[in-house]
Amino acid sequence: MNQIIDGLVKALQLIFSGNPGVYDITLRSLAISGAATLMALLWGTPIALILGLKNFRGKFLIKGFFNTMLGIPTVALGLILFLFFERETGIVGFLHLLYTPTAIIIGEAILITPIIVSFATSAIETVDPQIISLAQTLGASESTTSITVLKEASAGILLAGTACFNRAIAELGVALMVGGNITNLTEVLTTAVSRHTQIGDVEVAIALSIILLIVVFGITITVNFVQRRRK
Amino acid sequence: MTNTAELRSITKTFDETKAVDDVNLEIRQGEILALLGPSGSGKTTLLKIMALIEQPTSGEVYLYDEKVNEKNAERLRLNCTMIFQKTTVFNTNVFDNVAYGLKVRKTPKERIQNEVKQALKLVGLDGFENRRARRLSGGEQQRVAIARALAINTKLLLLDEPTANLDPKNASAIEEIIAKANREKGTTVVIATHNMFQAERIPMRLALMGKGRINEVGTPAEIFGKLSKTLASFAAVENTFTGNATSAADGTTFIDIGSEIQLQTTAQPEGLVNVFVAPSDIILSRSHLESSARNVFKGRIVEISDLGKLVKLRVDAGKSFIVQITKRSFNEMGVNLDAEVFLTFKASNVQVI
Amino acid sequence: MWQKIIIIAALATVILVAGTIIYFQHFTRRRLMISTTTSLDDTGLLAEIKTAYEATHTVDLNFIPVGTGIAIQHAQNGDVDLTLVHSPSNERTLLEGGDGVCRKIIAYNFFTIVGDPSDPAGIQSLNTTASLKKIVEFGGNYSGRLWVTRGDNSGTHQKEQSLWKAAGFNYTTISAKPWYVNASHGMGDTLIMTQEFSAYTLSDTGTYLKYSKDCRIHLVAFIAQEKALLNVYSAIAVNQTKHNSVDFDDAIDFIKYLVSNEGQQLIQNFGSGNYTQNLFYGAVQPLKQNSTAQIVQWIKDYAFLNGTECPQQYRDGHPELYD
Repeated sequence: MNQIIDGLVKALQLIFSGNPGVYDITLRSLAISGAATLMALLWGTPIALILGLKNFRGKFLIKGFFNTMLGIPTVALGLILFLFFERETGIVGFLHLLYTPTAIIIGEAILITPIIVSFATSAIETVDPQIISLAQTLGASESTTSITVLKEASAGILLAGTACFNRAIAELGVALMVGGNITNLTEVLTTAVSRHTQIGDVEVAIALSIILLIVVFGITITVNFVQRRRK
Repeated sequence: MTNTAELRSITKTFDETKAVDDVNLEIRQGEILALLGPSGSGKTTLLKIMALIEQPTSGEVYLYDEKVNEKNAERLRLNCTMIFQKTTVFNTNVFDNVAYGLKVRKTPKERIQNEVKQALKLVGLDGFENRRARRLSGGEQQRVAIARALAINTKLLLLDEPTANLDPKNASAIEEIIAKANREKGTTVVIATHNMFQAERIPMRLALMGKGRINEVGTPAEIFGKLSKTLASFAAVENTFTGNATSAADGTTFIDIGSEIQLQTTAQPEGLVNVFVAPSDIILSRSHLESSARNVFKGRIVEISDLGKLVKLRVDAGKSFIVQITKRSFNEMGVNLDAEVFLTFKASNVQVI
Repeated sequence: MWQKIIIIAALATVILVAGTIIYFQHFTRRRLMISTTTSLDDTGLLAEIKTAYEATHTVDLNFIPVGTGIAIQHAQNGDVDLTLVHSPSNERTLLEGGDGVCRKIIAYNFFTIVGDPSDPAGIQSLNTTASLKKIVEFGGNYSGRLWVTRGDNSGTHQKEQSLWKAAGFNYTTISAKPWYVNASHGMGDTLIMTQEFSAYTLSDTGTYLKYSKDCRIHLVAFIAQEKALLNVYSAIAVNQTKHNSVDFDDAIDFIKYLVSNEGQQLIQNFGSGNYTQNLFYGAVQPLKQNSTAQIVQWIKDYAFLNGTECPQQYRDGHPELYD
């Protein structure tokens, strides 16, 4: 218990003393997970639109696929990606992405895409179908109608985006495997916690964990706040 | 006279039921066409097909002599717009709702401002621009929907029971706006409705629908002239009666519709006439009302229908009258089946078809 | 609509990847990828080496700390350019498999058996084998916990297993004994557990000293420098003939630094301000002088392969490393 309190104290110390190492790691976490969330949104929104608005054979299979992917064990994903990125034997090894922040971004993006697809598809399905008829009868083209539907579902999609980001920034397995936890390059909050726990720097580990929680909390609260203002 | 639209052998099937069954219809430029029929007769589906947002299972739709197919539907849709029975508004403010169609048509910003302002004024929602559309009352939302449709000034305007949920005052205001659009801009209007317009003042055609088919098309006079022999079709429009007219000294006319009921009207028809009274024009009360209304009849409630915010009652006063009141009034009155009630309506509410 | 977004998504991915490649090829210094063990990384020595090296060389050292087995695997797969480990048997495999070349022994230190100050089994002043035997004997009648193991197949754990074997015990039997506890954890947690149980364990110097200094544990180091407890660190470059995308030249440069006077001084002096003992000893000087000092013989016995630090056929065109 003492260690947790010490950890809290240490966390405050690290934050307010402006410890550059900590800021560096935090910013990197935010940047990497932010980029991953953006990628997932870019990949996932069109899929969600198709699943939410169109009907076709095998739709339930694809939906089932993404729902299953929600539960993929992250170490398995990390391992598979590692094998893909491996310099000599990996399919995309020649891109030299292994042990770079980009590898983590791609890894996390793949991890969280099922989240956005599932949530966003739900959100889109919940939109009153008459909205589509309304948009059409006001002259909207198919793409404009899709955008209108997205806007109507924006609350759910924003929620999905937040869930994605929170999941990404809390990810350890994938980040460790494809990033390598290299100081000043691919060390992020979660891998730093892992490292310091191993060494036995429990206070620093707890401090970093607290910082991670603060970041997640902060983002969630901000998003909620923005939502309420819009209403 | 060109046709704005033409429907040829239109059939629409949903899961083995024919919502629309082999309909042939011409919609003439600049006219007002009313679709009359009980719920489930296919009016909404037909309107949607006319609005090009529903594809018929078989048959062809022509808009300004151009046959509608999958490729040109999106472009041709710009010529018409439909107002739905269940009001739908976008989850933004009133301004953005009304401006939607204009933005789609890439109207310059300044013009959008003007058009929206004008449209809101027309429907009596001045100054509502920044209010959140979903927070408005049902009637206000319906008016937003109408403003939204008027703003884009399409050549063809389709309405699905636009005044069903409005109080009488707003209902007639809307009717007036639509009539005005038709008069001044030559907008072709197709409207599905239970209630009749002030039939005398507005030139229109009626199409009677039943079970997905169009049974009769013509002017009100033509139709009701024919139908005086076929009572069944009267179910299309409520509270229609036939009787002999007798002038009274004060300029009103009595119509004897049988069962010892004489309706007094301000109109001055002669001979055998068809009249009707809008259900919402009839005041229902438990006891005799003191008023200047000329038509007062006692009857019994024989049927009650709950329509959500409104309640529809059938009262047997010798002849069957359909009365429509708000849920609140109904609850306040505390009446039930078999209750004795009074029907009161003005002579001016008795309209001659 | 979605077609447009998919195109944008694909473009974004391509830009991201292309950007990364360009960035790392042209805008940053070259990266030397080095796989190493977590225990070595945890001491903080590598961070110091990194700072010193990068100040005078235009290369970025990227250390990837993993378990010993994985570090070797990375070298075998050509994922890294160099590996820094402390497991002679695995290092032999690496050389003989053709994946590693130019092995240089750079440092050494000792494992130590630490335990509760009250010394329940009475191993004070005994050597390793005798201590282990005493512990087993004492354990026969003991109802509590007497030994904690890391149990994670790390370098330390492997060393421990070899010690039990050397003392004449079957490891499977020993690990099944009721007084034998498996921490399944890193060194730090294992030490703390040892403290909780007032037991004994095998620890590397670095972690033990660190935890003692921070007063997290009050265990005593019973056996210090003994041949059986020798721990030798080597650097091996990945064979560029077999793995042609490795940065061989920078790897050799780094090895040269590690064995230079400067590098060796840094290793020897590491932690001198904070600890009363050495965490590491430079191995180059003693081996070069080839004196009759005990330590030289120990290193030769334990860590030489076929009588040399690096057999001829694995020296790959850098004989100057072995003068």
